[in-house]
Amino acid sequence: MKTLHFKVGLFAATTLLFGAIFVLYILHARGFFEDTYRLQLAASTADGVAPGVPLVFSGIEIGRVSTLGLNDNGGIVIHAELLARNAKWLKENSTFTLDKPIVGGAKIRIDSPNLDAPALPENSTMLLLTSDVTKEIPILVERVKAILANVEHLTRKDGEVNGTLANLQTMTGRMTGEYGMLEAILGSPEKARGVTDSLEKTRALITKLDSLALKMDSMAAKADTWLFAPDGVAPHTREALAQLKLILADAQSSLKKADALMTNAVAISADVKEGTQDLAKLRAEIDDAVRKANALVNKINKIWPFSSDPEVKLP
Amino acid sequence: MAALPDDVARVALELPLRANLTALDNIALIPLYQRHFTAGESVKQAQAMLEQLGYAGIAPLRDPDMTPAQRFVTQLARALILGRSRLVIDRPGAMLYDVSYPDFIRQLAEQTSSTGTWDIYDFSWNQILYSQALDPE
Amino acid sequence: MNFLVASIESLGAKVTGWFIVGYDIFAFLTQSLLLLLDRSTWNRATFDVVVKQVYFTAVQILPVFLGYVLVISWLIITIILTTARDFGLTGFASEMTIRVLVLELLPFLTALFIALRSGSAINTEVALMRVNNELDALEHCKVPPMQFEFLPRLIGGVVSVVTLAGLAGLLALLLSYLSIYGLSMAGFEAFTQIIAKIFNLNILFGLIAKCALFGLAVTLIPITAGLETPKKLFMVPVSVLRGMMRVFFAIVAIEVVSLALKYI
Repeated sequence: MKTLHFKVGLFAATTLLFGAIFVLYILHARGFFEDTYRLQLAASTADGVAPGVPLVFSGIEIGRVSTLGLNDNGGIVIHAELLARNAKWLKENSTFTLDKPIVGGAKIRIDSPNLDAPALPENSTMLLLTSDVTKEIPILVERVKAILANVEHLTRKDGEVNGTLANLQTMTGRMTGEYGMLEAILGSPEKARGVTDSLEKTRALITKLDSLALKMDSMAAKADTWLFAPDGVAPHTREALAQLKLILADAQSSLKKADALMTNAVAISADVKEGTQDLAKLRAEIDDAVRKANALVNKINKIWPFSSDPEVKLP
Repeated sequence: MAALPDDVARVALELPLRANLTALDNIALIPLYQRHFTAGESVKQAQAMLEQLGYAGIAPLRDPDMTPAQRFVTQLARALILGRSRLVIDRPGAMLYDVSYPDFIRQLAEQTSSTGTWDIYDFSWNQILYSQALDPE
Repeated sequence: MNFLVASIESLGAKVTGWFIVGYDIFAFLTQSLLLLLDRSTWNRATFDVVVKQVYFTAVQILPVFLGYVLVISWLIITIILTTARDFGLTGFASEMTIRVLVLELLPFLTALFIALRSGSAINTEVALMRVNNELDALEHCKVPPMQFEFLPRLIGGVVSVVTLAGLAGLLALLLSYLSIYGLSMAGFEAFTQIIAKIFNLNILFGLIAKCALFGLAVTLIPITAGLETPKKLFMVPVSVLRGMMRVFFAIVAIEVVSLALKYI
């Protein structure tokens, strides 16, 4: 009877000890003994975010979304909670991206590119990027690059526009030469048509750029004012946009180059015979194209003002 | 036979001991659960009862290990410790088949200080055995 | 026509029988719970019997039980980990093992283990007590058998299933940690995160409540089945058979209800 009691006592004590340790462990794991670190995330849309969506850093869950709400301006405020011991991964330059993978639930990915950066103070409000914006910008850049390549192809030294202009030059040269007007008149209709064709291509390009701008416009509308915040756009996104702007500026300069050549050509022809009807038309078209390209770049600048200091409107 | 008043303690074949308890525990159950004595006190009372009957040695035995006489003594002790005014021994021949039971019962009765009456119910053809019985009926 | 009437009659008899059984079980449970509130129940003797019951139900089988848990857990963890790796879902593997083993399978198997070992024994013992008139003898002595025969078995069953399932769960947690991260503390933080995600207080209390219900089922049902045995020795096996069938259904029902509450 005594050994029986001893065994049962030992069993009970061990089980209770293990149980108590486990309960303490769970309380520790759930952060019962720690402070909760709170964080607000501002987003343009609550689509895909719900209470319980995990905050993931380097693939490990460090916190969860606790509540969602709207602020007075109609912006979305996401309240997230994490344990104080996990807050060390949040830095001032951390980015928060909403990931919606094809398999598995949505999660908010935290990237802290520089772990030596100052820690993010509690209760701060950060911007939540949707990964489709960041994914779309590189695609956009690729498309602009392709268009630029086309422009460059048109305006390169032995390109179509250049070639046409060179032809034009020789043609107008000939007009002043011994063969006189006749040759020029005989040669000009096709030649002039070639130039016009090139310009048609440039124009189509401009239209394309225009539609691109429209697309960016809609994207910007979607992204709303949050994108203009000082640290709102992820650095690489910002880089991508800067690149985009650069490319567009490049395109503009290319077109300007074409314009200069045209002006030159027109000047040459004007020198001779006040120019033909076609050449005047060409000039007008080039002007139009350049104006359009200018307008496009300005528009993009207006949508994404990088240099100016726009109004910061945080939800 | 079945409908006996509450103040009668019965010893009968139909009222066996609890098989997985020792003789002592079987007896100690009564003070323990009926009168809410402590466990130690109950065991002491039960042991005293067995000693009074002269069978202190059977205390650790369980039902299957006892002889019919020992089993009967335990059942008797359990009935006596109930402290009821009347004790009925029902057909002792069925339980005490290995001893001359009228003498055996009389001897036990003399050893106890019980104040109540002892009745023995038995078949009429066994009456001859009770030539000196206590209260043959 | 007669056939139809007869079948309806037999169905009615069965349904009535189920209701009577259910009523008996709940009446018995109420009685024992009321007795728990009675101060006189809490004496040294009852405690001793409870200790004895815990010894026979839990402590005696501990080595065998833990060995069995070790083998089952190891097998299932290995299967889940390998499959998860094959499908590239390793991230979900540890959560899966814990959910399957600790929350569902091990408590269920513990209940079955106790039911097979102690439940059947209790059923037989109570049936024999009834057939041998031992209960009548106790009744004659005005000693209610509830306090020292039935209540300790109920308490012992609940305590045993809860503690054994708890120990089995802890062992499985340890095993799954070792299988995933090996003998190092490297995965401790990640593992803690998973534990924190799975075990909130609701889940923990739900688990304990489920184990307690299992423990109650594997003792309460055999006792009531034993108590309703007709006073014929050859009915004891029949009583055990019926009791164990009811225990099995009750365990499955508890598991199904708990799963439904958790995931629906």
